[in-house]
Amino acid sequence: MNIAVKSPFEEKKANKLQSTRIAGKLVNDYWEMVWRAKEEGKLVCWYEGSAINPFLEAADICWVHGEAYSAMLAARHQEGTAQRVAEERGYMRELCSYARTHLGCAVSNQRLRGDNAGATPDEDDLTWKLPPPDMIISAYAYCSTGQQWDEMTSRVFGKKIPIFNVSLPWIWGSKPDAGYLRGQEWEETSTYVERQLFDMVKFIEERTGKPYPWDRLYSMMADIRRASELRLEAMELCTAQPAPASFFDWVVSIAPINNLPVAGVKDYFETVLTEVKQRVKDGEGAVPDEKYRLFFDGIMNWNKVGWLANKFAKWDAAVVAGRYTHMAFWQEPSLIDPNAPVRGMAQNYLICPNNHAAPILIDLIMGLCRKFKVDGMVIHASRTCRAFTNPQFMIADTAHKQLGIPTSMFEGDVTDESFYKDELLNSRVEAMLEAIEHRRMVHAA
Amino acid sequence: MKQHVMGVDFGSTTAKTVILDLNGNIVSHAVAHMGAVSGNGVKQSMKDALDAAGLTQADIGRTVSTGYGRRMLDEADKNYTEITCHARGAVAMVPGARLVIDIGGQDSKVISVDSNGLVSQFAMNDRCAAGTGKFLEVLARAMEIPLEDMGATALAAQEKLKISSMCATFAETEVISLLAEGHPKTDVLGAVHKAIASRTLGLVGRVGKKGPVVMTGGVANNPAAVHYIQEELQMPLILPDVPQIAGALGAALIGLDDYRAENRQLLISEAEDMAREEQMAADKACVPGCRGVPEFAVDPREKQPVPGKLKSLVGSLQKHF
Repeated sequence: MNIAVKSPFEEKKANKLQSTRIAGKLVNDYWEMVWRAKEEGKLVCWYEGSAINPFLEAADICWVHGEAYSAMLAARHQEGTAQRVAEERGYMRELCSYARTHLGCAVSNQRLRGDNAGATPDEDDLTWKLPPPDMIISAYAYCSTGQQWDEMTSRVFGKKIPIFNVSLPWIWGSKPDAGYLRGQEWEETSTYVERQLFDMVKFIEERTGKPYPWDRLYSMMADIRRASELRLEAMELCTAQPAPASFFDWVVSIAPINNLPVAGVKDYFETVLTEVKQRVKDGEGAVPDEKYRLFFDGIMNWNKVGWLANKFAKWDAAVVAGRYTHMAFWQEPSLIDPNAPVRGMAQNYLICPNNHAAPILIDLIMGLCRKFKVDGMVIHASRTCRAFTNPQFMIADTAHKQLGIPTSMFEGDVTDESFYKDELLNSRVEAMLEAIEHRRMVHAA
Repeated sequence: MKQHVMGVDFGSTTAKTVILDLNGNIVSHAVAHMGAVSGNGVKQSMKDALDAAGLTQADIGRTVSTGYGRRMLDEADKNYTEITCHARGAVAMVPGARLVIDIGGQDSKVISVDSNGLVSQFAMNDRCAAGTGKFLEVLARAMEIPLEDMGATALAAQEKLKISSMCATFAETEVISLLAEGHPKTDVLGAVHKAIASRTLGLVGRVGKKGPVVMTGGVANNPAAVHYIQEELQMPLILPDVPQIAGALGAALIGLDDYRAENRQLLISEAEDMAREEQMAADKACVPGCRGVPEFAVDPREKQPVPGKLKSLVGSLQKHF
């Protein structure tokens, strides 16, 4: 008898979209630009949550999105130093790991550029490289950590950084006329946020000392609207069987739609759409042998994107849609009027998928599951992102009752991989696939 | 064709093996306690089961593994998750069961089973070993009491104490604190088992409470765990004779299905075999009723194959080819 450790995943790999490789270059170019910002004399704004970056880019302010930097570090497996530095500073492991990683970067930055200036930085260590902020704008939907994170950042930089807060109220959806993008509450909340965005622009003008260049914003928002339409069209094509692209391809495409310079975004999604169309025409799938179609509920494990893409491919499981990718990031382009975009921008910030009351949220998710004809749902319960995790039992229960599909939950995290346990994911997803298989056999009989 | 199949549950703390004959009867079973995902443990349990059945591995037509070490077993032809196998095994032990509570060494799981005996929904413990066999092992060590005596001791609890921690290590700290405060072991152990029950009920809530409920896994042998879970659940638990082997039994039954399907043509009954021969003879006979030996010729009008059996035979052949 020979007991030997074998890898269960030896051969198949995800058939990733080739065009998404461009995203890697765009991301690298963007962060290089950020790291040079101070040398180029630019003002720098740190922000978290909502994609207010077009407001900043139009005003020629360098924008630094906290989650994006943490996610980038995790994707490059360079998040450990920042997390350790944050913990040394006193931020506990249960704190949002996006925030913890980013705060670690702020602390490192201060050590090397600020209070401990003179220390020799390691050029390969990205932890300290962010340019310190000249301003902070806090515009976070639903997440209670967001504003505190910005306050903590301000504290790290000596409480000298001006902060502007945009309040994005929760959509209760409880009035009789309430629903997705409709009702009195929706209109009033949209107006409330729109007004704050105009105030935010005044704050930007105070910082730059220049009148706000509205024409540049209008032009950028026209491009973002088009990029969003292209992205949604490509995603919609994944209703095809086999699905030409997977949730993981759309994860890789988050940075282009969410926080990269607007100039390259339309071209990026045109290229992606062209490839997706070609794949549909050729019957080429995102996994070599699509046998199961799954919905992914939950935020991404950024240090596991490729790992998970390959793992699901080896299970012959195409993850065809997800809450994170399909319900966020300029998700409703038709709301954006390029000649008066601010209200539509406010509305897109409000429809962050965590910001809806459960009935609206769950209804949207069930709609996606039906549209993409999924066989099951895999749920990532992120240990330090409770905002995304809160409704997941309700989502699982509704999927089971309304759609009759099995669900499988695993615990992980956005950027702290110590919370991820591979064998638990394997057992749970495999059990769900076995249940799907048995149901098929029963139906066939 | 071989006459037996094997299911092996390569668990985190014990290894279990079940051998079935081709009618699905348990011929032998064995449980070996040999440490975490132990190669020695699984070898021992397989050997014990084979010895008890008077067989060797060469006599086994299909071996299916399950449990944390399921992919590590070279003898296994296939492997399935413990969720699928425990559900299958538990329903075989308790026909009609709709909910399976399985508490093993490293995990606890609650599986909702549909009317076909298939997994409908499941929930498992996350984060740590709280509420599992490992949790009991850690606390038995902390309280210096043999693991097998824990349940009986806990049933004598008088005062209701509370262990609130979700973490096995911190629960150990709580236990030590309660003992240091002078609480008797019986009461502290009562609280330990109550904590397991409330953790289990949380999982039941996630898949939906329904009965009949069967409990499997090593912790089903612990009378206090059963008592407190029943109390929380407010429903009776049905306990199989050997609750630890549910996973291995499920694996063996899946192996049996597989082996029978693969050898369907060899599994026809004697009557079907006779009907087949007669049909072939009828098809080929140059002399009516001849089956190659004219003097034994039977007039086919006197002995026609039974239509139902013929249909079954044709179906069998169609499936085979």
